[in-house]
Amino acid sequence: MILRAAVALVYAFLLIPMVIVVLAAFNAGNYFTFPPQGFSLKWFANFFNRREFMQALWLSTELAFWTALASTVIGTAAAVALVRGRFRGRDLLNAFVTSPLLLPQILTGVALLQFYTLLTMQATYGALLIGHVVVTTPYVIRTVTATLTHFDRALEEAAQSLGAHPVRAFFEVTLGVIKPGVVAGAIFAFAISFDNFTLSLFLTSSRLTPLPIELFAYLKYSFDPTAAAVSAFAIGVALVLVVGIARFMGLEEFTGF
Amino acid sequence: MRLRAGLILLAPYVLLLAAFFVAPLALMLAISVSRQSFGQMDERAASAQGTLTFHHYARFFSDGFYLGVLWDTLVLGIVVTVVALLLGYPLAYHLARTRSRWKPLLIVCILSPLLVGIVIRCYGWMILLADRGLINATLVERGWIAKPLPLMYNTFGVAIALVHVFLPFMILSLTGVLKRIDPALLEASQTLGASRMRALLEVTLPLSLPGILAGSLLTFSLAISSFVVPILLGGFKVQVLPMIVYEQVLSVFDWPFGAANAFVLLVISVVLIAVYIKVTERALRGIV
Repeated sequence: MILRAAVALVYAFLLIPMVIVVLAAFNAGNYFTFPPQGFSLKWFANFFNRREFMQALWLSTELAFWTALASTVIGTAAAVALVRGRFRGRDLLNAFVTSPLLLPQILTGVALLQFYTLLTMQATYGALLIGHVVVTTPYVIRTVTATLTHFDRALEEAAQSLGAHPVRAFFEVTLGVIKPGVVAGAIFAFAISFDNFTLSLFLTSSRLTPLPIELFAYLKYSFDPTAAAVSAFAIGVALVLVVGIARFMGLEEFTGF
Repeated sequence: MRLRAGLILLAPYVLLLAAFFVAPLALMLAISVSRQSFGQMDERAASAQGTLTFHHYARFFSDGFYLGVLWDTLVLGIVVTVVALLLGYPLAYHLARTRSRWKPLLIVCILSPLLVGIVIRCYGWMILLADRGLINATLVERGWIAKPLPLMYNTFGVAIALVHVFLPFMILSLTGVLKRIDPALLEASQTLGASRMRALLEVTLPLSLPGILAGSLLTFSLAISSFVVPILLGGFKVQVLPMIVYEQVLSVFDWPFGAANAFVLLVISVVLIAVYIKVTERALRGIV
């Protein structure tokens, strides 16, 4: 009983900031009070009418799409080699390819900023994209590895003994079976890129601002609920993506429990 | 799989990491011990002789201000980790055992904060904790307090938001381990007469130690390197090491000193990560 109450409170703690943001976005008043001062969509209207937010939203969406595509291809390839390969130093290599996930992003960000400046490619689209691919690929490797480890090799061998070339056997048999992990990894990579703030902060400029950076800049100067509308929109996107992961891979498999 | 095929598959990401992860970090290290300036001109450093210098590290470790910030950062990290563990353990314990059909929804509750950007989560706390925020406005309106409580722009606000931001990582680490504990062990201890509390303390808790350690290392490592939360909820009144890095690199443009600060943070992180990998090698396999 006490455990259940405590658990319920912790869930409430986890959800409350997001719930508040969504309520504030639909609230008519300038300040969010309780009870709310009536329903209004004017903050959303303001969000969709502001050119800087629309440009930022478009940039983030496009960036997240290319990031997801690139990290899914190279991440899936790496995961296949890491699960199947029998070579020395595999554990070390495993740790190496997941290290961008574990190293605090502020460090990756600072290092890339200095590196890009030296190469005079700082604050370019390509530089930002590469940065995002570096940090999202380990997530793809994790999800694909999770599905690959249950994969029955005999299926692939059967295809090969029936005359399929190993490459064809991979694309037509293996990829079909591990698809849930690949798709879930792609969705997760999209989400991580779409919401990335820390790395982007170091790799952007006033002419290249993804949505989280634009929101941060807005919050520094004003406190009006347009920021809440932007946030509520992003929360909606996150929920859609979670549902996508749940449908393709299953959340228990995805989280590893 | 033949070695060559494996190498071809691994090559794209390994090369990408070598060029855009390892090389930049190596450059950062080089900048931190360099007299050359890479950002804005630093006459003091440029006029000195030689190419290698530990000047920037000496400046960090001899200045009471920076050492104080380092100390505050580590203390904040420990507080956040302990609170996250205390909040996360009951939840993870419940999640690992529940057979509820709502379980997927519970996982969504834990995962969705992870997928909602950090700026948005901070903003939610700002709406709640600000002087004219929901909590203070409600309390003042009811006449329960005369002046707004200082909930934000101090360590309290930063700590609350940090716990919130990193709690999902703690929960995922703990659940992964708790789930793998054989329920028969608990039943056996209870058959032998142990109370539920005693079974929890003497069976479950020791068996979940790898998860506690892994979750704590991860949470601590993330908490001491966050600067978004201290900026938004601390309002530059709470100084932490990553904020110094951020200011030196993006506002002061003293790149060598910023790089030296970053490298101090990096050494701490790498040590924590190495222990984390050791701990999780067999104990865990999840997304974090």
